[in-house]
Amino acid sequence: MTYADEMTPKERMQAFLQSKEVDRLLVSPLILNFASRSLNLKVREFCTNGKNMGEANIACFKKYRHDIVYIFSTTSTLAEAMGTRMYFPEDDAPQVEVPFVQIREDLKKLKPVNPEKDGRLPVYLEAVKRCVDAIGDEVFIVPVIGAPFTTSAALRGTDVFIKELYTDPELVHTLMKVATQSVKNLIDAYVKAGGVPVTVEPVATGSMISEKHFREFALPYLKEVYSHIHSYNLPGVLHICGKTKRVVKCMAESGADVLSIDDIDLLDAKELVGEKVCLMGNVSPADGMLKGNPDIIGSMVKECISKASNSPRGFIVATGCEVPIKTPHENMIAFLEAGREFARLPINLN
Amino acid sequence: MQIEKSDILHNLAQAVIDMDVSRAREIAAEAIRCKLDPYAAITDGLSKGMDKVNELFENEEYFVPEILLCADAMYAGIEVLRPYLPKEDSHNRKKAVIGVVKGDTHDIGKNLVKIMMENAGFEMHDLGRNVPYAKFVDTAGELKADMVCLSTLMTTTMDGMQVIIEGLKKAGITSRVMVGGGPISLGFAKNISADGYAKNAAEAVKVAKSLFQDIHLPLTFKTPELVSVRKNLGGAR
Repeated sequence: MTYADEMTPKERMQAFLQSKEVDRLLVSPLILNFASRSLNLKVREFCTNGKNMGEANIACFKKYRHDIVYIFSTTSTLAEAMGTRMYFPEDDAPQVEVPFVQIREDLKKLKPVNPEKDGRLPVYLEAVKRCVDAIGDEVFIVPVIGAPFTTSAALRGTDVFIKELYTDPELVHTLMKVATQSVKNLIDAYVKAGGVPVTVEPVATGSMISEKHFREFALPYLKEVYSHIHSYNLPGVLHICGKTKRVVKCMAESGADVLSIDDIDLLDAKELVGEKVCLMGNVSPADGMLKGNPDIIGSMVKECISKASNSPRGFIVATGCEVPIKTPHENMIAFLEAGREFARLPINLN
Repeated sequence: MQIEKSDILHNLAQAVIDMDVSRAREIAAEAIRCKLDPYAAITDGLSKGMDKVNELFENEEYFVPEILLCADAMYAGIEVLRPYLPKEDSHNRKKAVIGVVKGDTHDIGKNLVKIMMENAGFEMHDLGRNVPYAKFVDTAGELKADMVCLSTLMTTTMDGMQVIIEGLKKAGITSRVMVGGGPISLGFAKNISADGYAKNAAEAVKVAKSLFQDIHLPLTFKTPELVSVRKNLGGAR
């Protein structure tokens, strides 16, 4: 059975953000590199060419009509634009190969990005513009930016960087300041291109660092980022994957309006921060989308809705992290259909 | 003298817990000066500290930066003591091959598991990251490894674990296989016929040890069913 929508994704999101009546909750699987599949592209062809990246996302939206179109390939894109060397597997997301800041002196060479010129940022900008032109009247185009802590880790090498939270906090703050300026420059460029930028900070996950370090090193810079986003009257969205229970309260203090979370019970999240922020999550990408089947995914979607649809500041049905690129088409359909069925308002799960 | 020795052991442990590399070195040198058995300095000093670190990690008081720095302190102490150790009798140590499977370069989780298992007495052979499937099989065969530990953070590379497990079987290698990493779940581990699954570095040590207990179980997963099986087989551990 298919459930027809009454609003376009854009109308739904607009109404949702203005607290007006909507037909259902937003249903937003984190389709990122998976979009390459809609044009049968390898990930490398997808993420290194603005036309490919844009057209694949357009084709993907026409196929699935998901509520948010994300533009993304890796959390290290900003670090790459600032000088970190990446490794591009043929059919997988790029990964950090050689971090830019090898010795302290390299800090002097570090500059905030020029989004029109540096690294693959022009690829992203072209993808955003193509999507805005082709489908921007139906859906918001949402480029995803690696937030300051994640960008700094990719500039320094994560293992070295997180030790320096203890051994060289001054270097950490220096990196964070430049990274934050880069994030803001990129936000400006995306907004100008018609996109609604959001941020991801996965290296600051509770699987990695303590709440104390989150407060000291990640939070002040996230606040700066969201106040910049708010200056455009846009909502702040913060995604952190892995274990987030430890840091979810700090996440809610960042000024972000929506928290996209992964490995946490939504009931806990609702109790801890539901009064303060809209929640978004958290069907398992691996056990659900990739390895599950339509039945399993349907019940996972239903469980998320039953736990969090009454969260005081709202709920968006999503995957906990990126939809794996090898996710079967029927699993994606199952996610969206379950969302359209169970997330219809008023919620009735029986 | 007795009291002093126990102080030294305590201080070694504390230097590790405090992430204090230079203090770990100093106390290790003091241990040598006081004619402390260097082997005891490691097992009853530095290693005890690392056990405590593991506990703090399990209780979510310590996180990844803390463990990496504690391990730096432990290894700094070991470096000082190593020249004084008798030629190592590694006869009874279990050999484990560890690495991040091909396609993935994220190795922090793997490094944590290696640190914790080394501390627990395993002889670790680290193949690094982005390791071709055949390399795991070949190395396990050459070393007659007791265990192979596979890690990945990515959904795109998790299926490689199954290829490796099948490769080991085909080559007639009986090393037990433990898997872990971000996207890996108990269910996935069972599906690919892994012998063990650990959801973090602290648990990895327990699971690894349990794979070599006397009771032979086809799978050694931490599940309620298995706990009851173990109880029936002669008491919980």
